[in-house]
Amino acid sequence: MPQETLTAAQASVKGAEVGGANEDPKAQLHLKLANEQIDKAKKLIEDGKNEEAARVIDRAQADADLALALAQQAKALRDAKDADESLGKLKRKLSQ
Amino acid sequence: MFRLTTSLLSLALVGVAACGATLPPPELVDARKAYDRASKSLAAQLAPAQLDTAKQALDKAEKSFEDHGVDAPTPDLAYVAERKAELAEATAGKAAAERDAEGADKKFKDAQLEGLDNTKAALNKERQNSEKTKAELEQEKKELGEEKVARAEAEKKAAAAMASLQEIAKVKEEARGMVITLSGSVLFATGKYELLPIARDKLDEVAKALTDQGFKSIVVEGHTDSRGKASDNDTLSLKRADSVRTYLVSRGIPSDKITSQGLGSSRSVADNGTPDGRANNRRVEIVVSPIK
Repeated sequence: MPQETLTAAQASVKGAEVGGANEDPKAQLHLKLANEQIDKAKKLIEDGKNEEAARVIDRAQADADLALALAQQAKALRDAKDADESLGKLKRKLSQ
Repeated sequence: MFRLTTSLLSLALVGVAACGATLPPPELVDARKAYDRASKSLAAQLAPAQLDTAKQALDKAEKSFEDHGVDAPTPDLAYVAERKAELAEATAGKAAAERDAEGADKKFKDAQLEGLDNTKAALNKERQNSEKTKAELEQEKKELGEEKVARAEAEKKAAAAMASLQEIAKVKEEARGMVITLSGSVLFATGKYELLPIARDKLDEVAKALTDQGFKSIVVEGHTDSRGKASDNDTLSLKRADSVRTYLVSRGIPSDKITSQGLGSSRSVADNGTPDGRANNRRVEIVVSPIK
C-alpha cells in the first residue's frame, strides 16, 4: 500500500526537519524535493495511480534520508570547527 | 583512407542506432557518477554499510535498465541510487568530522591538563621562593638582632672605657674628636721627655680604653708653657708626643693609625703668668677621631 510508505516518508521528512535540515542549504534543497514529491504522490494516490505513486514516494524517502544525513554532516563539521577553534584559543592562552 | 574512415563512421552510426533504445537515462548516468565518487571517498572506510546499500540500489537500477530500458521504474530507481550514494558520502563526512572533533577535544583536554600542570609547577616554584624569602628574612632578622646585641655590647664597653679614662685624665668632646688631656707633670720630669713609671700605668689604661672603644685615627699633641725659648719648647713638646706615641704603639695601638706632633706653647689653655696656669699648659693631648 503506498499509503504506508507515504506515511513513512512523511515521518522521515519530519525527522530531517528536526535534525536541522533547514539550517543547511543543501539539506534544505533535498527536504524541499522530498516535500514536493510527497505532494505529487498524494495526487497520484487520489488519481488511483498507486504504482507511480509508490515510485515517487521512494524518491521522496531517498531525499528525506539524504536531507537528514546532510544536516547531520553539517552539524558535525560545525562542531569540529568549534572544537578546533577552542583548541587554538587555549593554546594561544597557554603560550602567553 | 577516406573510405576507411567513412566505413568506421557508418559502423558507429549503426551501433548507435542499434543501441538507441539502450542509452541510459540521465538519472542513471548521475547515479553511476555519484556511486563512483562515493566509492573513491572516505565512505569506503567510514560508511561501508551505506556504500553497500548504494551499490545495491545502483545494481537494481542497472537491472531495471537492462530489463526495461529508460522506462519506469529505471529513472526512479536510479534517482534513489544517486541519493543513496550521496547519503553514503554525507555519512562518511559526518563520521570524519566527528573523528576530527573528538581528536580536537582530546587535544584540548590534554592541553588543559598540561596547562594545569604548568600552573601547579609555577605555584610550587612561587611557594618555594616565598619560603626561601621567608627563611632569608628570618635569618636577616636574627642577624639584625645579633648585630643589635653586639652594638649594645660595644656601646656598653665603650662607655665603660670612657668612664675608666675619665678617672685618670680629662676627657672632652670637641669638633676635632675626643680629646684626652694628660698633665705634663704626671708624665714627665721637668725638661725631660722620658715617661715616668706612673705615666706608663696611666697610658696602659688609655691604650686599653682606646682599644675597647675603637677609633679611626689618633693624633698625640705635645704642649709646653711659654717659659724658655720657643724652639726648645717645640723640640721638647715633639719629643714628649713621640714618647707617648711610641708607648701606645707598644701597647697595641696600630702605628699606622697614630701620629704625633709638637706644638710648643702655641696653644696655651691657661695663663702662663701663674704657676697653676703654666702647669695646665704643660700637657699632652691625645685627639681621637671616632669611627663614623
